[in-house]
Amino acid sequence: MNTMTILIADDDPVIRKLFEKRLEKEGYNVTVAADGTEAAGLLDTMPFDVVITDLVMPGEIGGIELLNIAKEKNIEIEVIVITAHSSVDTAVDAMKKGAVDYLEKPVNFDELFLRLEKISEVKALMKSAGDLREAMDVTESSAAQTIQDLEIINSHLLMQLEKLEEILSNSHQDEYSRIEQALQFLESR
Amino acid sequence: MLKISTEEIKLITKYIYEISGIHLDESKKYLLETRLNVLAEEQGCFSYQDFCKKAKADATKVIERKIIDAISTNETLFFRDTGPFELLRHKIFPELIDARSSKSPHLKTSLKVWSAASSTGQELYSVAIVLQELLGDLSKYTIKLSGTDISDAAVSQASSGKYNKFEIERGLARDKLTKYFTMNGQTWKVNDQLRSMVNFRKLNLMLPFTGLGKFDIVLCRNVAIYFTLEDRKKLFNKIADVLEPDGYLIIGSTESLTGICPRFIPKRHLRSIFYQLQ
Repeated sequence: MNTMTILIADDDPVIRKLFEKRLEKEGYNVTVAADGTEAAGLLDTMPFDVVITDLVMPGEIGGIELLNIAKEKNIEIEVIVITAHSSVDTAVDAMKKGAVDYLEKPVNFDELFLRLEKISEVKALMKSAGDLREAMDVTESSAAQTIQDLEIINSHLLMQLEKLEEILSNSHQDEYSRIEQALQFLESR
Repeated sequence: MLKISTEEIKLITKYIYEISGIHLDESKKYLLETRLNVLAEEQGCFSYQDFCKKAKADATKVIERKIIDAISTNETLFFRDTGPFELLRHKIFPELIDARSSKSPHLKTSLKVWSAASSTGQELYSVAIVLQELLGDLSKYTIKLSGTDISDAAVSQASSGKYNKFEIERGLARDKLTKYFTMNGQTWKVNDQLRSMVNFRKLNLMLPFTGLGKFDIVLCRNVAIYFTLEDRKKLFNKIADVLEPDGYLIIGSTESLTGICPRFIPKRHLRSIFYQLQ
């Protein structure tokens, strides 16, 4: 089952509708925006796993700007940019800025589904690695507390033993006063 | 995949111990197979015995280096375990700076830190970030942050200061990320200012520490766990030799020096422990 939430930003209503229909059929949770500004607003209100955006859109926020906004919002959001064949250079530029992939128009949906599956797999692996690390951290910090307590106690006891040894082996005093002093030291701990 | 026999495990773990001090036993069969298989096949070997022989005979030491890269564990994070960094920020650095500046008030205060198993560099860059945030203007100080590791691959990544998004996103808060790193595609690169504070080179902790100099702080976290008890004793003794008399040693949070090096005394600050010479 595909549980990823996807935001589509495209100013062409026909393409928007097509994306929505095909992706929902695959089981994805899809939200659409008619331009960059609307998409940016949606990013503020709900969490998305993936943003698929047209590179060229009317208004102040184009594909690249939306990419920056999404990454700024949450670095884990993956962005796929859609580009006309003639502007592949811009798409490559987008990837340098952090987009995970680009698709050329007209969009081949089988190709898109494959890339989404890959993204989903990577996210699952990241989650699993994160869970493992979390489990390791919890184990580690609880073990650390125990070990540190023992380390301190052990060091105190060693110092006391040394002190006792010093008192008991003091040849300037008779045995009785050595024992008395040792007992006093033990009581004062 | 090439299968490894019991005899071969003995042969190869002995060889790994000789070149790196990393102590592996028969229970690590799986680790050996998964990490060395590609290398053995790359060398066109049909058995691990063959592979071991080839590695020993290789005068260029290329195979040896690749084995060390493959077998050493580079699990590290920016600010892995916040304890030591809080300790540095709130206790160790202020104390050291106080001591050093009152001793010679007319000289630049000097601070020398050594990350003994620096892996891919995250620990030392985290120390650099702590210093930068604590001191602000660093021109009044002479700071030397040295990192060493046995793996060439780890040293070279540490020196490049480049991290992929998986390495960078954990442990590093967003404000620190954008302040100290620049994104280029899927890679984040540490900024020049931070990069200029640190220095990385290769070092096998089993060998003598000649020419290393003395340090105010040594971080030797989660590396001695891969060594035998005897080698741990030698290692921490050598560390005691390169530590300033009032210097600080920080080890991994689940490690202990009990029965290993009586020259060090454990001290507690909040939830962390550090060690100082007797």
